[in-house]
Amino acid sequence: MSAFVEYIPGNSIFHRLNPITKILWTFSVMIVCFLTENPLAVLSVFIVNLVIAATGNIIRQMYPILRGLLVFCTILSLCQVFFIKEGTVVLYALPWFRLGPVTDRGIRLCVLISLRMLSTASTVPILLMTTPMSDIITAMTEKLRLPYKYSLMLTIALKFIPSFIDEMNQVMQAQMSRGYNSDTKNPFRKFLIIIPLAIPLLITSIQKSRLLAISMEVRGFGSGKRSCYKDCSMGNADYIAIIIMASFVLAGIAAALIT
Amino acid sequence: MIEIHDLTFTYSGSGSPALENINLRVAGGEFVGISGPAGAGKTTLALCINGVIPHFMDGSFHGTVIVDGYDTASAGCKELACSVGSVFQDPESQIVFSTVEEEIAFGLENLNIPRKEMVSRIDESLKMVGISHLKRCSTSHLSGGQKQRVAIASAIALKPKVLILDEPTSELDPQGSMEVFKTLENLNSNHNITVVVIEQKIQLLSEFCQRLVIMDKGKIMMDGPVKSILSNREVLNFLGIDSFPVAKLMHLIRDKGLYDGEFPVNIDEAFDIISYILKPKILH
Amino acid sequence: MILAENVCYTYRNGNNVLKNISFEIKKGEFIAIIGSNGSGKTTLLKHFNGLLKPTGGKMLVNGMDTRKTKTSRLAKYVGFLFQNPDHQIFCSTVYDEIAFGLKNISTRREDIRQRVKKAAEKLGLESLLDSNPLTLSKGQRQRVAFASILALETDIIVLDEPTKGQDYIESIKIMDTVRELNEQGKTIIMVTHDMELAALYAKRIIVLRNGTIHLDGRTESVMASPEILASSGLKPPQIYMLSYMFRKYGLFWNVHTVEDMFRQLLAHLEGSKNVSIG
Repeated sequence: MSAFVEYIPGNSIFHRLNPITKILWTFSVMIVCFLTENPLAVLSVFIVNLVIAATGNIIRQMYPILRGLLVFCTILSLCQVFFIKEGTVVLYALPWFRLGPVTDRGIRLCVLISLRMLSTASTVPILLMTTPMSDIITAMTEKLRLPYKYSLMLTIALKFIPSFIDEMNQVMQAQMSRGYNSDTKNPFRKFLIIIPLAIPLLITSIQKSRLLAISMEVRGFGSGKRSCYKDCSMGNADYIAIIIMASFVLAGIAAALIT
Repeated sequence: MIEIHDLTFTYSGSGSPALENINLRVAGGEFVGISGPAGAGKTTLALCINGVIPHFMDGSFHGTVIVDGYDTASAGCKELACSVGSVFQDPESQIVFSTVEEEIAFGLENLNIPRKEMVSRIDESLKMVGISHLKRCSTSHLSGGQKQRVAIASAIALKPKVLILDEPTSELDPQGSMEVFKTLENLNSNHNITVVVIEQKIQLLSEFCQRLVIMDKGKIMMDGPVKSILSNREVLNFLGIDSFPVAKLMHLIRDKGLYDGEFPVNIDEAFDIISYILKPKILH
Repeated sequence: MILAENVCYTYRNGNNVLKNISFEIKKGEFIAIIGSNGSGKTTLLKHFNGLLKPTGGKMLVNGMDTRKTKTSRLAKYVGFLFQNPDHQIFCSTVYDEIAFGLKNISTRREDIRQRVKKAAEKLGLESLLDSNPLTLSKGQRQRVAFASILALETDIIVLDEPTKGQDYIESIKIMDTVRELNEQGKTIIMVTHDMELAALYAKRIIVLRNGTIHLDGRTESVMASPEILASSGLKPPQIYMLSYMFRKYGLFWNVHTVEDMFRQLLAHLEGSKNVSIG
């Protein structure tokens, strides 16, 4: 499960912000990055993201994600840089034949796109690593008026993914012990061999969900108005953060309108 | 505390009744064990006591079940949730949330308990089952015994007078099983919660329960104090004499006429009885 | 038959579950593996048919190195019954379910019919061959799963807590079948938490603690060491415990069964007068 973006407990300022503030942050980063054409401005947004990750003590966990993004951006830039013909040619990919011209505007655009990608794509993992999923869901129910039933469904789905994977391994091993072999090249057989895995999985899942439903009912689920255990009120830090983000977004809009 | 009169229940789509003419009275503060083979109707009985039947399951329901003064057939979901707490077999699938405190809060949220009271009730119920240190833990990293204690804590947070458990130890190892029963013993003797537990493990039943109800084929076959139930050889054969060798030994001793006092429920009592039998012989 | 040489197993998350496990299992043995949760019992069990491959040392089954042999091939030699029958049952009739493994190891059609019938008979399922497994009770489903393993007619049968969650009558049915198989020469290895059943049925016991072998010996001698069992988080069977309590008075030595104890009790009452109890 290490490939998953998981919540990493911490007590930084960013950890303590309201999930709604953090969701607003991801949106404002996106807006600012796409409004401005200036690579330096986007770079500074990215650096702020890194600072947030550093104060939240999640740089180490962010590292593989950032590396992946960098690789992706490099490939994307290499593919794209040759298609931009405007501007003066700075170099050729194959100088001896004067083939594959690369222009200064091409480079500038590719850097801009890459930085935009890095800045906007790094916000979501930062959000998920500093906020428990249940807090995000609670905040969405309380502040954004998402019906409780939907958010509960989401919570249950997320909680049961690991146990579902576990269950699948068990079923797989049980069938393998009876000589079941899942290697086949024939596509028709490939479809058929899923059946011994899918049916036990379906049946055990139905059994489990039945018990889950009963265990929720006996604790009064659906008996009327609910209260909420989690405190998701906004603090002073939230209001300050929202004001700062709003001013950046407004500045971005203003700058875009002027140019 | 629990009064069941002439209860007969047949699941819809089934030809024969799962429960037939059940009559059972459990007084406040009792610790009752229910046992019997699979298919005896134990789980159905539990579902009738906590009101899941007839509220959430279809079937023909005859007779009355009264728990803590409420008739389960007519009482609301809220009253039932506050009078009977339930714990089930599989510790994994009855836990909904990813942290212990959220799990316990769930029932309280459903009943619209104000936040302030919720906080104190969560702490109190965690303390009662002895897992205060796990409050902020992730539910997926707990042992089986701990998970069942979380399930017990989330049931007692609603302050029920009765706790009904359906084979709470069937997925647990001996240590986990012991943990659960010690918790139940504490709730029963120190917090006056009536405990009804369905259980297969006869050594646990004999050690912790005061009263045993034996079921078979939808009926109550026998009901009485643990010692008298165990001293009935037929019942013991039926429940698993090989799982409780001390009782088997005791029956051999009684057959020989060497002892006719109280039946032992654990090794210590058996030790005392055997010592007692040997003593006069040695003094002689 | 099975030879483990310094078997180590480390999960991908770095969790070191088995450490230098070595033992030999001969044909026809009946072994119970016991230990508290997390001692590595199930992990060890899954090495016998190659579901898990040792990350250090080696495991030889019938002379085959499990690291180089597929589980689906080992299935011809090792039958493996999982804890939860619902993890494997998927056919619409009991017959098909029992035949599934046989088809996988490409048995002749005539043989399949015969072997399914034989396995079903052994587990009392003859009348249920046409039923849908889903309509059966939990105990019956466990027996269907067991029959599907039996039909493979392997020399080695591995059972992971075969009586878990079963009532007494079902447990005894399963264990009696296991004993019968052992008497017919099959090698049995089972993991169990039920010390009474282990004492009653197994001939040799391996105690695991924190991924190492803590004790390995004949059932009588392992069960008669309460201190060692306790240090592994286990409680000895009642009769062994009772005889242990009397040991300091010099009574009830060599007691393994209820009958042993009763016989000695009678002997003490009739004969010797120099017994003293504090």
